[in-house]
Amino acid sequence: MVDFLNLIRNENMKMFRAPRLFVMLGIVLALVIAISSVWFTVDKGQTAMWEVIITETMFLYWIVTIFAVIVASGTVAEEFSTGTIKLLLIRPWNRSKILLSKYISSLLFALFFAIVFLASLLLVNWIFFDLLGNGESVERLSQFTSMSNSEYMFKYYGLLFLNTVMTVTISFMLSTVFRSSVLAIAMALFIEIVVNNLMQLLAFVKYKWIDYVLFVHLDLTKFVGGNVASDGKTLGFSLSVLGVYYVIFIALTWIIFNKRDVAS
Amino acid sequence: MGKPIVQLQGVTKRIGSRTIIDNLTLDVPSGEVFGFLGPNGAGKTTTIRMMVGLMSITSGDILIDGHSISKQFEKSIRHVGAIVENPEMYKYMSGYQNLIHFARMIPGITSHRVKEVVALVGLESRIHDKVKTYSLGMRQRLGVAQAILHKPKLLILDEPTNGLDPAGIRELRDYLRNMARQEGVAVFVSSHLLSEMELMCDRVAIIQNGKLIDVRSIQGSDNSAKSLRILFEVEWPESALEVLAASGLTGISEGAGVIAIEGDKELAAQVNESFVRSGIKVYGIRADIKSLEEQFLEMTGGEGIG
Ligand SMILES: Nc1ncnc2c1ncn2[C@@H]1O[C@H](COP(=O)(O)OP(=O)(O)OP(=O)(O)O)[C@@H](O)[C@H]1O
Ligand SMILES: [Mg+2]
Repeated sequence: MVDFLNLIRNENMKMFRAPRLFVMLGIVLALVIAISSVWFTVDKGQTAMWEVIITETMFLYWIVTIFAVIVASGTVAEEFSTGTIKLLLIRPWNRSKILLSKYISSLLFALFFAIVFLASLLLVNWIFFDLLGNGESVERLSQFTSMSNSEYMFKYYGLLFLNTVMTVTISFMLSTVFRSSVLAIAMALFIEIVVNNLMQLLAFVKYKWIDYVLFVHLDLTKFVGGNVASDGKTLGFSLSVLGVYYVIFIALTWIIFNKRDVAS
Repeated sequence: MGKPIVQLQGVTKRIGSRTIIDNLTLDVPSGEVFGFLGPNGAGKTTTIRMMVGLMSITSGDILIDGHSISKQFEKSIRHVGAIVENPEMYKYMSGYQNLIHFARMIPGITSHRVKEVVALVGLESRIHDKVKTYSLGMRQRLGVAQAILHKPKLLILDEPTNGLDPAGIRELRDYLRNMARQEGVAVFVSSHLLSEMELMCDRVAIIQNGKLIDVRSIQGSDNSAKSLRILFEVEWPESALEVLAASGLTGISEGAGVIAIEGDKELAAQVNESFVRSGIKVYGIRADIKSLEEQFLEMTGGEGIG
């Protein structure tokens, strides 16, 4: 077990590497600070803190997913493109364990970025709109439930993170199968930009099979107000469909990685 | 020589309808430096990929220290250190971080051992620089370092001298021989640098088009008991041939005053004596030892890739 943690340490060392990590952190922080300060100057700090936070989450969160995907899809693809995969796979660890360490590290990276993003949102906007501003602080984010603002925010954020996990898993599969990050990143962009914003329209198409299409279920934020969404779908059903896809994706990724001849 | 560390048993690799490796069988015992020789595209790298489990084996099996690489991968690979083709490292990390990375993957490698290996491959002064600043030879040295970190019983090196300077080649050669002699490591080296292999290896296998065509020992310069082709450079070749015929020997005229006979060292001395006694001047005597290189070219037909 301790030995397996060493594999994860190795992957973390490669994923959290210097220039790339700081560029990503810088972009996230700069965006949050820039948008909040512009907002603050325009409305002179009148808006409630939580409202700014939730709005910025809606508009900026996808960047977290994209950064997580860039790192996750690179972890396998880069080893193939640079040839280091040969040195990695000739250690006393079977391929499944090597791949698992990479997958776990990818999720850890996603979690790290999600936390950093949330923390910077909370901190920056607390400074601007609570400390310096004078917005009405007790406005309720959710009109239909009794959740507090922070409860609502964390639930919304958790549902977003499930989308990230699913997207990272899909990219991880694509980059392992095709040994290239390009398709994986393109797919993630498609999910973030098209699917999460437009695919729910598909749900109104009256074919039974539409209910089982992966893309219809990827955006779970519609369940933030309760377990039944406005279109009548339940959270449980969406999670079950996602669960089935998840198992299939993971199985495919592992089977193909184990079978492949490494001849790069 | 000890027990076999690696055994290839009827190893065959087919990709699509092409047979790339055809029924390869050979053993390498501990303490031996084994050369794996073949022209471009012969299948050296493919064989090595199968030996370290990077490629599946179509039929046959490879045992390392008695364990099948395909069925007991973790058990058998534990005893192997290897460089497959180029020593590709993580360029964005330092040489030291690269070694730590691989050291973590095998229990029991201390930081003391890492330093020892760094000193052994002569990289102390540059080990904390990023690998992307290394020359090819320095990367080759780092490649050797990661391969020997865990004191493997079998060391597999695919064209390890590629990129090394003459001093580096010499160091590597001495180091590999030492590993074999003193620590009983079986060393499996592929190369097309034939002269290199003659100096370094105990035995050499020659493969071509995926087939093993010869395995032979390199016996240093000890040719005393063997039958050789002996070349005499003489004043009058015709008279010399007559002298030979008179004592029941057949000589072959090679032109330019050179005649050849088959025989051992003893015969050479006798023939020389009879030439001199018949008043034929002998300008030179030498054994026509084909270098491994010539034998190799002869065997593989010196043809191109295929
Ligand atoms: N993935 C592959 N798919 C199909 N054919 C392959 C593959 N890899 C290698 N080959 C073929 O197998 C043969 C042996 O290749 P290999 O790389 O083992 O040769 P080699 O002896 O290492 O040559 P070199 O001296 O050039 O390094 C070649 O004809 C090559 O074209
Ligand atoms: Mg090769």
